[in-house]
Amino acid sequence: MACVAKKCGVRFQPPSVILIYKEKDKFRRRVMPVRNFSQFSDCGVAAEQLKNNPRHKAYLEGVSLRQLEKLCRLLKGHLGGESLAESLGKLQQEETIDPEEDMNKLDDEELAKRKSIMDELFEKNRKKKDDPDFIYDIEVEFPQDEQLESCGWDAESCEEV
Amino acid sequence: MAERPREDVPSEAGAEEAVKIICLGDSAVGKSKLLERFLLDGFRPQQLSTFALTLYQHHARVDGKAVLVDFWDTAGQERFQSMHPSYYHKAHACIMVFDVQRKVTYKNLSNWYKELREFRPEIPCIVVANKIDADMKVTQKSFNFARKLSLPFYFVSAADGTNVVKLFNDAIKLAVTYKQNSGDFMDEVMQELESFDLEKKSEDLSDQEDSSPEEKPPSS
Ligand SMILES: Nc1nc2c(ncn2[C@@H]2O[C@H](COP(=O)(O)OP(=O)(O)OP(=O)(O)O)[C@@H](O)[C@H]2O)c(=O)[nH]1
Ligand SMILES: [Mg+2]
Repeated sequence: MACVAKKCGVRFQPPSVILIYKEKDKFRRRVMPVRNFSQFSDCGVAAEQLKNNPRHKAYLEGVSLRQLEKLCRLLKGHLGGESLAESLGKLQQEETIDPEEDMNKLDDEELAKRKSIMDELFEKNRKKKDDPDFIYDIEVEFPQDEQLESCGWDAESCEEV
Repeated sequence: MAERPREDVPSEAGAEEAVKIICLGDSAVGKSKLLERFLLDGFRPQQLSTFALTLYQHHARVDGKAVLVDFWDTAGQERFQSMHPSYYHKAHACIMVFDVQRKVTYKNLSNWYKELREFRPEIPCIVVANKIDADMKVTQKSFNFARKLSLPFYFVSAADGTNVVKLFNDAIKLAVTYKQNSGDFMDEVMQELESFDLEKKSEDLSDQEDSSPEEKPPSS
């Protein structure tokens, strides 16, 4: 089936994931109820069930498991009495790196989580060895002369040395 | 042993100069990704004790001479701090990395640097600002840490590859130069002389060996 996922979202009542997709130049909408779902459900499992559901499978090919899990978390938040803004805020927080955090103190699992968030940008910007325009040795000069604006991070750190 | 097709590897390993280069910096600044980008898949790292230490071997050429490089890569996590003394042992150059997106990792450079100098007061050290692909604007800003200490400074990206190869090749050159000109080399000559001397009065040997803090065996 030649359908391309374009957008997805949720409907709270009954808990459903909504997919906007394109098929033969036409936009269509598919509503996929998330069955037996409550505020205590495991969103990872729910997302997997949706993704593997024989009736939805073909439509959800272009939608990542992670995305589906996020949508389920919105549904779960609503069932648990959170506002949409609250749920979105929580998701956002888990997906961004706190630039102040000292990651040297994290355990392996927490560190791996941070790295997987970082991986998203890393993979996006990555030039792979197999890319046709891959160049092994890329040299760019960035002169550090006096006139440059300060990075703003120097205040105390240099005095300490 | 890792063999890269682009370098011709000398037939007898004994003819090679060998240097050790260590990588320092906070967790998740990209030390391992930088090494992987430099070595591509021409490496087969040797992993010790759950990622605390990864060793990469690399064959390089400096001024037409074959050089065998050992890259040492450790995790930034604090729980691995106790192994640092052996990490620094006999290193010939250091690559010290921070993440341009995280101020803490820049602030922490001074701690890494202090520790480095406790163990290796003289070796060349390159300061590296990684992840510039995430925000190219940082390359227009001044970072004074390196300048104040008169250390070489590079903007790089392990993701898109900017300046990665240059960084490592320059580090290798610095390491080789250091090894050839440094007190380290003198230490070895001195030891050579001493051991001649000591063949006669071998009781003194232990005393002599203990006198140099930099030459302690790894305390593993
Ligand atoms: N955008 C971007 N992300 C990068 C770059 N280099 C590394 N990263 C990201 O940073 C994460 C951490 O990189 P690592 O190489 O594991 O960091 P490390 O310094 O070896 O960390 P430890 O071994 O835990 O001390 C990676 O998972 C990548 O997602 C880069 O040049 N650009
Ligand atoms: Mg690492």
